[in-house]
Amino acid sequence: MVDLWHVTFEVFRQKDNQKSHFNFFELDINPDEYVLDGIERIWAFTDRTLVFSHACHHSTCGACGMLVNGVEKLTCITSIRDVTRDGGKIRIEPLRNFPIISDLSVDMSSLYSRMEAVGHQPILPIQEEDSKGKVKSEGDLLRLADCIECGLCISACPIALTTSNYIGPAVLAGAQQHGELTPCILELVNSENGAWRCHSAYECTEVCPSNVDPAWRIMELRRKIIANRFSSFFTRK
Amino acid sequence: MHDGFDVKSRMGESAGAWFFKVASGGLIILVLFIHLVINHLIVEGGLLKYADVVKYYQTWIVPFMEVFFLIFVVSHSLIGLRSVLLDLHPSNQVLRWLNRGLVVIGCAAIIYGTWLVFVIVGRG
Amino acid sequence: MSEYPQQPGKLIKWFDPRHRSLGSWAFILNRVTGLGLTLYLFLHLIMLGQLAKGPDAYDGFIALVKNPVFLVGELLVIAAALIHGLNGIRVGLTSFGIGNSKQKQLFIILMSLAAVAIIYFAFRMFAH
Repeated sequence: MVDLWHVTFEVFRQKDNQKSHFNFFELDINPDEYVLDGIERIWAFTDRTLVFSHACHHSTCGACGMLVNGVEKLTCITSIRDVTRDGGKIRIEPLRNFPIISDLSVDMSSLYSRMEAVGHQPILPIQEEDSKGKVKSEGDLLRLADCIECGLCISACPIALTTSNYIGPAVLAGAQQHGELTPCILELVNSENGAWRCHSAYECTEVCPSNVDPAWRIMELRRKIIANRFSSFFTRK
Repeated sequence: MHDGFDVKSRMGESAGAWFFKVASGGLIILVLFIHLVINHLIVEGGLLKYADVVKYYQTWIVPFMEVFFLIFVVSHSLIGLRSVLLDLHPSNQVLRWLNRGLVVIGCAAIIYGTWLVFVIVGRG
Repeated sequence: MSEYPQQPGKLIKWFDPRHRSLGSWAFILNRVTGLGLTLYLFLHLIMLGQLAKGPDAYDGFIALVKNPVFLVGELLVIAAALIHGLNGIRVGLTSFGIGNSKQKQLFIILMSLAAVAIIYFAFRMFAH
């Protein structure tokens, strides 16, 4: 029999545009379960009006990103043990820098359309993309791209905090991964709201649950844009 | 803004401004290092007397170095300030006035500083 | 669907390091010192106008700034310049692909250098 921990879940609540508040839920929970398990239990047994997003429960869909004790986490892979202690509390809030739909659920449609616009490919041939650009040939095998579009990086970015026009780390990383700087992509990333907005706080890489390393990709992208600008300057007729 | 996109063409942050900021930053570090070494380590007690300052400016390379430094420091600081203001997403109209204001302040500071250097060189 | 929020009013949170990592400290320090140094630069240029007024004005002015309040201010400027400049080296290097995976270590080393230099200058200034 596993020893259960007594944990207080402090959950952010907001419906429509009403004033936000926190609800407190006391749970006896196995510390090796995940934060999302606790939230689901609250919904199942205590409060059916609690809204939150989730789907796959194994860090592939990117739906369950939330702030856990102030830090962006994918709640399906964040164990209770890692974020609190027996008798402690867990503060759950929705991701920052996105409009709140209800309670813990945010509207990430702008992220999805921006990802599409920069040509981010969710499925890649293995030879094209290994971690950090190492090229390996593995026949026709396909893999899922690292980025699961969870939005944690945009929530953590201090620049996305003040201006939502900044297209954000995930999208810039997607553009870098796409490889080719087509005129359309260049217009998006070589702009005030693109790669030049980043101020090297590295929070995106810090919270990324999926090994994308967006900050590194933004720096790569900048070099690519600078090289592109130089060559177009010298080949201009 | 439509569907999360905003690619209105306006004089926002650009590849050129960013590159200049990084490059001028590097040059400033270099010159500031020389400046610190001379002012605080080589010259005993620092360049604190009027006569010492005038004498220092008689070395031919010093006025050039100082004017060069002035141009890069003023540009770097104002482009940096502009980056901070751009993070607040000013409207197109506000940005237009901001750009004009910063150019005027920058030019005025550089002209004034250069004039000052010439005045001091002339007192030698 | 609610409007995507444009929130310039949140700028104060730029300077809130709670729950953030080391990179945010670098960002905060860079922003604060950058703004401070810009202010100082223009004050400094105005102050140097005393040179144009001749020896008496300038030497009188220097005598004024030798009091401890101004010395502390001067030390703050030196500290800001060191922090901004050394962190600038980190930003420059990582921007050109050097040390991205080691940016935290780079920041710690550069800031330790800054701390040593600040202490050195403090001793020199206040030892007289």
